[in-house]
Amino acid sequence: MFHNKYRAAKTLTSILTHIFLMAVAATCLFPLLWMVRSALMTNETIFTDKSFIPQSLHFKNFYLAWTAGGFATYFLNSVLYTVCVVFGIVLIASLAAYAFSRLKFPGKNFFFYIFLAAMMIPLPGSFVPLYVLMTKLHLANTRIGYILCMINVGLSLSIYMLKTFFDKMPSALEDAARMDGCSRIGIWLHVALPLARPAIAVIIIFNTLNVWNEYVLAMLLLNDQSLMPLQRGLMVFQGSHSVDYPLLMAGLSITVAPVVLVYLFMQKHIIKGLCAGAVAG
Amino acid sequence: MKKMFFVVLSFLFFALGCSSAKQSNTVTVWHWMTDRQDAFVKLAQQYKKQTGIDVVFELYAPSDIYSRKIIAAAQARVLPEIFGVLGEKKKLVSFIESGFIADLTQEFQKDDAAWEKSLFEKALDVNRFEVDNIYKIKPGLYGVPIDVTNIQMLYNQDLLAKAGIKVFPTTFDEFLNAIAALNRVGISGFVSGWGEIWMIDCFASNYAFNVMGEDKVMATYRGEVPYTDEDWIKVFNVFKTLRDKKVLIEGIVTKGNKYAEQDFALERAAFAFNGSWCVNVYDKMNSALRYGVMLPPRINPERPMLIWGGAGSSFVVNDISRNKKLAVDFLKWLTAKEQQVFLAQETKNLPANKEALPLIPKVLADFASAMDLTTHPSIWKYNEDPLVVEAFDKGIQAILIGEAEPAKIAAEVQKVKQQEMERQKKR
Repeated sequence: MFHNKYRAAKTLTSILTHIFLMAVAATCLFPLLWMVRSALMTNETIFTDKSFIPQSLHFKNFYLAWTAGGFATYFLNSVLYTVCVVFGIVLIASLAAYAFSRLKFPGKNFFFYIFLAAMMIPLPGSFVPLYVLMTKLHLANTRIGYILCMINVGLSLSIYMLKTFFDKMPSALEDAARMDGCSRIGIWLHVALPLARPAIAVIIIFNTLNVWNEYVLAMLLLNDQSLMPLQRGLMVFQGSHSVDYPLLMAGLSITVAPVVLVYLFMQKHIIKGLCAGAVAG
Repeated sequence: MKKMFFVVLSFLFFALGCSSAKQSNTVTVWHWMTDRQDAFVKLAQQYKKQTGIDVVFELYAPSDIYSRKIIAAAQARVLPEIFGVLGEKKKLVSFIESGFIADLTQEFQKDDAAWEKSLFEKALDVNRFEVDNIYKIKPGLYGVPIDVTNIQMLYNQDLLAKAGIKVFPTTFDEFLNAIAALNRVGISGFVSGWGEIWMIDCFASNYAFNVMGEDKVMATYRGEVPYTDEDWIKVFNVFKTLRDKKVLIEGIVTKGNKYAEQDFALERAAFAFNGSWCVNVYDKMNSALRYGVMLPPRINPERPMLIWGGAGSSFVVNDISRNKKLAVDFLKWLTAKEQQVFLAQETKNLPANKEALPLIPKVLADFASAMDLTTHPSIWKYNEDPLVVEAFDKGIQAILIGEAEPAKIAAEVQKVKQQEMERQKKR
């Protein structure tokens, strides 16, 4: 009798928990599904047809969005920017964070606080000086100029996260590596980096999202259409007063797809990294 | 493998640093008009065929990003040959003062002012500085309108026919009768985006000009006529009447213009108050919509109904550009009749060139034909204090939702006006 009651309570709790989680999942998924559904409609039906599955499906919108928005070039640009920026951030941030955490040099704290202070400056506040600087360096309207700026944008937070991680790393591990003949760089590469994998995963996903969705800085620094990232393609469907909703939604679906894939492939690392970061912090 | 990866990456970094050099006979245009990019590119190709000059249209949107870009480019002194300055006239003034914008007066006046005469005067006024202007800018014309815009009323021909109305109303009484007829057959009367208070301001200003004329409105702004004056009460009463006679669609006070446009396009209301850009919007939402353009119905038959309007978008020429002459030539070509007809047909905006009117779709021509009746705060000699404008517009919203009556709002607005005048005196 007691067993049955216990089992019933457990089952009920499980059912309620699952219902709650499913409701949360539904609220997260609904906007995405609504976006895909809207991408399959026409400009006229989008305001009149309120059904979740449209009466007629216009898959051609994806093709139109891809061609009209010039997505082919933009897509490749975004992939290139994301790969280069994220690689640059991981490389520089991990080296810098390791140095701030483990090395002793004059002005260490001062420089670290300077990096932290950089996190407080909103990007729009630095637009004009940044543009003037990049123009003087002949880096405006170049891919490398944009990549360097984006690396700079992501560095502060990444250094802060990794430093917190390295601070918690047992020094015995380093001592052992040193006794085995490892150099400073060797310790960073063979000991610190592998241990920081969960934190690096979080940095990768955060910065991937940041670069993939970035638009404002690209508009400021780049002039040539052939250099623009994916977000530029979406602007084609938004007029000053009117919006081509189906094509915009189709374009958004195309834009979102790679990010969703990155999340799906890296979800284990992300959860681990966030939990590890929480413990370390 | 790792070494290879680093080598490839290093190569990529160097390769990415290359940028294309700009050719000397290229005219670059920076703009923010996403919906016009394709048409501009086609025109640039045509211009290249005719003249051999390359014109490159570079699009930066939305407009706030564009504005930041031109400010940054001005500071770095890398503005293109042609660009536009968005926002208040003060901003245009600061660009002129810094020497970035060319005075085009002489170009406009060449050949017996042929270029100037071909364009709508009201559109040119937006970029014109008169003698003794308050900004102390050298008098002249500093910009070229590429299209014009104005804000009028629209009526749905099919809904009016359902209510047995054969002719659209021209007076306020006829309008109220039409609304009564529409209400009898269960059709909502009027929609507008009055959740955006500037649209209320626009509508109210139309009636203020119609009821009392420009001089008295300006005298009010100067503080010589109080808002409690009989004529201003009449203006507030327009909104009371709209409320009492159930003219307005439900929720109009909180409705953004985007939603108001949906309501009219989907035939949920018979009348709308909207700008000429709506032609493009309605066409996308419901291409079968049959509608016409009308001026807001007059209260005072003795005075014209002035409406807000002027240049939609304007371009200016970079005064420090080496290709200034090429830029001016291109703008002359762009605002010529043929190109303006093409732009109007492709983008459904009103052309800046008067000669294009007979060749564009009727609804656009109807909008454009009222350009002579347009006015705009940016060309008024005096502008009301922003705090007074806010009190005025919010007061009208209070009337519309039945929270207050005209006399009370008039007194409240006047109180704010007096406070602001006293504050200005102290300064």
